[in-house]
Amino acid sequence: MTARDGAAPPAHGVSALHPVAAADLLPFPWATTTKPYGTALVELARARPDVIALGADLTRQTETDLVRDELPRQFVNVGMAEQNLMGVASGLARAGRCVFVHTFGVFATRRPFEQVAMQIAYPRLDVKIVGFMPGLSSPGGPSHQAVDDVALMRALPNMTVVDVADATEVRQAVALLAEREGPCYLRLKRGEVPVLFGAAHRLAVPAAQWLFEGGEVTVLASGMLVATAVRAAQVLSDAGLPVSVLNVPTLEPIDRDAVLAAARRSAAVVTAENHAVAGGLGTAVAEVLAEAGAGTPLRRVGIRDGYAQASSAPWLFRRHGLDVNAVVAAAWSAAGRRGDPPTAADVPVETGRYAPV
Amino acid sequence: MQTSQILQTRADRADRAGRTDGGNARTAQTVRKGGPMADQRPAVLRDGTRPAPAGIAGPGARPPTTDPGELAATARRIRRHAVEMVAIAGMGYLGQATTSAEVFAVLYRAVLRHGVDRLVLSPGHYVITHYAAAVEAGLLDERALATYGVDGSWLESISTERTPLVSATCGALGQGLSVGAGLALADALADAERRTFVFGSDGEMEEGQTWEAAMFAAHHRLGRLTALFDCNGSQVDGPVATVTTIEPVADKWRSFGWTVHEVDGHDVGAVLAALHPPPGDGRPSVVLARTRMLHGLGSLGDGRDAHFVTLGPGDVERALEDTEPVGPR
Repeated sequence: MTARDGAAPPAHGVSALHPVAAADLLPFPWATTTKPYGTALVELARARPDVIALGADLTRQTETDLVRDELPRQFVNVGMAEQNLMGVASGLARAGRCVFVHTFGVFATRRPFEQVAMQIAYPRLDVKIVGFMPGLSSPGGPSHQAVDDVALMRALPNMTVVDVADATEVRQAVALLAEREGPCYLRLKRGEVPVLFGAAHRLAVPAAQWLFEGGEVTVLASGMLVATAVRAAQVLSDAGLPVSVLNVPTLEPIDRDAVLAAARRSAAVVTAENHAVAGGLGTAVAEVLAEAGAGTPLRRVGIRDGYAQASSAPWLFRRHGLDVNAVVAAAWSAAGRRGDPPTAADVPVETGRYAPV
Repeated sequence: MQTSQILQTRADRADRAGRTDGGNARTAQTVRKGGPMADQRPAVLRDGTRPAPAGIAGPGARPPTTDPGELAATARRIRRHAVEMVAIAGMGYLGQATTSAEVFAVLYRAVLRHGVDRLVLSPGHYVITHYAAAVEAGLLDERALATYGVDGSWLESISTERTPLVSATCGALGQGLSVGAGLALADALADAERRTFVFGSDGEMEEGQTWEAAMFAAHHRLGRLTALFDCNGSQVDGPVATVTTIEPVADKWRSFGWTVHEVDGHDVGAVLAALHPPPGDGRPSVVLARTRMLHGLGSLGDGRDAHFVTLGPGDVERALEDTEPVGPR
């Protein structure tokens, strides 16, 4: 990494990062795990016979094979028919069931948007829509990349929208959303999921949580970009720019107080999301800041250039500016630092370990 | 009551029956968190319906009847109620009421066990027939009909989540059968013996979701699910056949694994026979009720746009004459 011009190099061995103990953030590089969601859903469904899981021909991919195999009476595969899927979910919920609906994020939000709006959000039913493969984490191209799902779901009154950061939060989100009355959209990474947080970590909905405090700039991050923001904070503080990180798992309703606290405590704020900047975290933060009259400079890291392509996630994250260096550059610029921002060293990770791109 | 008296007292009725502004019925509601709707939605009953709010509830469910004469007279009164409701604004969904009057009469007076069975009203435009039939079933105060389509009324011209006495409804077409399938699935999983009825219209067969739901219900053997389609052959742009060829409708449903009853939708006996309890072979059943727009309102049968009828001078009086009661209630 480099630190030039205005960046004061840090004293040797001293980090400017101030971790918040309560967040129980584990040291980098992080371990990964598989099927945290499916495991937690089986636990919930065992304890609550009213819980029913619906699938749409993506059973293993959405980790619901665990429910299908262990609690077959609490799993129904509706097939490749997402409009009907949402209607059936509505009927089950109207009959008193707590319904978890599973497919990829794109198919959960784009095709059946009207069905979600009219048959789930409007009647405020206990339907939890779980959309896998957020943003550019899918190599499947625009047809499979949910880059506007948060925007679509945020637009629906009554809908709670949650994008969690790691496996610890995934597990806790299942029980939290089941307890939360009304419709929810939960956005989940597919496959290997990092474990950023230890057992003491507590996810809350809709509260945001500070991971690092006392920075000159605050990075507000959601979902997969929380790990990215943590890495960027380390790079930046090593380069002499202390950074706070606010984990914002709930996009709707957004934790307004936390956003305004970030604006008060920092010279600038940066949002980071694996989603289009239009309608997601960046938009939500901008709305809060503007309505409060906060003049804090804002930089938004997210997808700006429309439709991506079918390529690997690391390649797409770099190309579309969702990588550590993009967050670093945004914070560097937002803080008014001159010269080139520092760059993150490429960290080789073994299988079973996770490093954000 | 003479036609002129009905017209004269319509405004008075509206005041008496209460132009419900939602907030007045707050005590009878389950208040959930979030949004102004929380204060406007009555509690949901076990069959998934919302009761009629205080002030517009009927005297209580009338004993069911299978008497063809009584059912035909009920259909006639449903048409009359509909004419009166549409007369309030001089326009509305009168065609839907005239085609579906017999089906609703049979369903509400002979088949549906109110408070037990579930009813999904898929095309929200037909809610006018629902209001009229609910009055005939004793569930809704007749005076409330005078608030049909009036600002702030519980009796909205297209059904909403506020609409009393249905398990679910849709304004957007093609969604109802899926919701009905979900309700029926919940009952099947719980081994409940209640039936789920979904009322739909033939135009909804142009929506792909209808066929997604048809495949789903047959695959999951939802034998206690019954769909009723008002096949009036009419949609906004004109005759269905000129917009999209949906026929052969009966063959389609049969090939999707449903038991099909194709009947004259204005023949109460035929409709009643088609709605008999399911045979128990696991197949969902569909009733294709072949109907005619503005049936029973001969004086309006002049080829006008029947999806959304506009009543000109003299039309209301003529239509009320068409639907004069023929016998004691």
